[in-house]
Amino acid sequence: MTESMTAPIRLYMSMSLDGFIAGPDDREGQELGRDGGRLFNWLDDRMSPGPNGQVFGELMATGAVISGRRTFELAGRWDGDHHGGVPIHVLTHHAGEGDVPPGSAKFYTDVVACATEARAAAGDRAVMAHGAGAAQALLQAGQLDELEIHLVPVLLGIGRPLFETKDTGHIELQLIRRLQGRDATHLRYRVRHHA
Amino acid sequence: MSRVILYMAMSLDGFITGPGDDKENPAGVGGMRLMEWLGGGGPEVADWRPGDPQSQIVFDELMSTGAVVTGRRTGDFAGYWGGDHHGGVPIFVPAHTAPADNRYERVHFVTEGIESCVAQAKAAAGDRDVLLHGAYTAQQCLKAGVLDVLEIQLMPVLLGQGRLLFEGLPADHIELDLVRTLEAPKVLHLRYEVRR
Repeated sequence: MTESMTAPIRLYMSMSLDGFIAGPDDREGQELGRDGGRLFNWLDDRMSPGPNGQVFGELMATGAVISGRRTFELAGRWDGDHHGGVPIHVLTHHAGEGDVPPGSAKFYTDVVACATEARAAAGDRAVMAHGAGAAQALLQAGQLDELEIHLVPVLLGIGRPLFETKDTGHIELQLIRRLQGRDATHLRYRVRHHA
Repeated sequence: MSRVILYMAMSLDGFITGPGDDKENPAGVGGMRLMEWLGGGGPEVADWRPGDPQSQIVFDELMSTGAVVTGRRTGDFAGYWGGDHHGGVPIFVPAHTAPADNRYERVHFVTEGIESCVAQAKAAAGDRDVLLHGAYTAQQCLKAGVLDVLEIQLMPVLLGQGRLLFEGLPADHIELDLVRTLEAPKVLHLRYEVRR
């Protein structure tokens, strides 16, 4: 596992116990889906001491961002700056001729190239991955090293799932850290890559 | 006061079996991965007791429940555990129609709905809790507001496909309170109370 000795690509996602990362009908103007804001109450503590603040601080200290195109667009392209001006690497099926994303953002159609350049850009800092699409693409390409799941004690019942049914075979994980914050259990898993 | 407690092992991506679960292979393809928090297994209940002390707490609680509610599918697949899940406690099965040939004295098919099924199980359990098992029945209990506690054995694996624990629930949020976390080498035990 020398790979994880270097800075990891780590997925950050809030998820309900029933596996949703947004409420239903997530779209422009309702980015978190209907009532999906329930999953982000823990972020009220983001500037406070304690586990929620610690996890948010770690997220903000990442050296690059990988996002799916859908998340990127829903977020208004973060106006080109997710945090601290670090590069934003956006996975997309079609980059679109002449569509130049703002600020530090750049489109990629190749997952491995995206991951490789994000790692290089982040240097010794972790890379933050965000969005269900990016998570699936990185997992399937064997490029996701860690998952930091903010597990929220609620059943949403309906919404956008983090994990879609996929014929990928088992992916083994290892729980390497657990932090209990207010309204979120932060579970950090390491992906045990196939040899 | 008897409570209804769901005990289910679930992958991080929400599955409780692998794909293609049927009578010959109740856990589905590769689904036995989810049972690895238990002991090695064998003819005796004690053979399934986990080796680590945290998981033993959960297992011993499960085995001290005073009645079982299980779905028809889960029960059929398991052959109703030969009529005895543990300790000879009664087993209640919500069903649309009772089978003509119920071979098991302690297995009761309840056709009056999930509320009645749970009420009968609670009455039978007395002071002890009721063990609930099976995804569909858990969903029915959640919808009917008769599920008190979820004891989830969260397994560190992504199965990718299989049978989901939570499916077809109403869009109204069901709020939970995390009341206990037990971390074992192979599993994370999360105990949630359903808020009403």
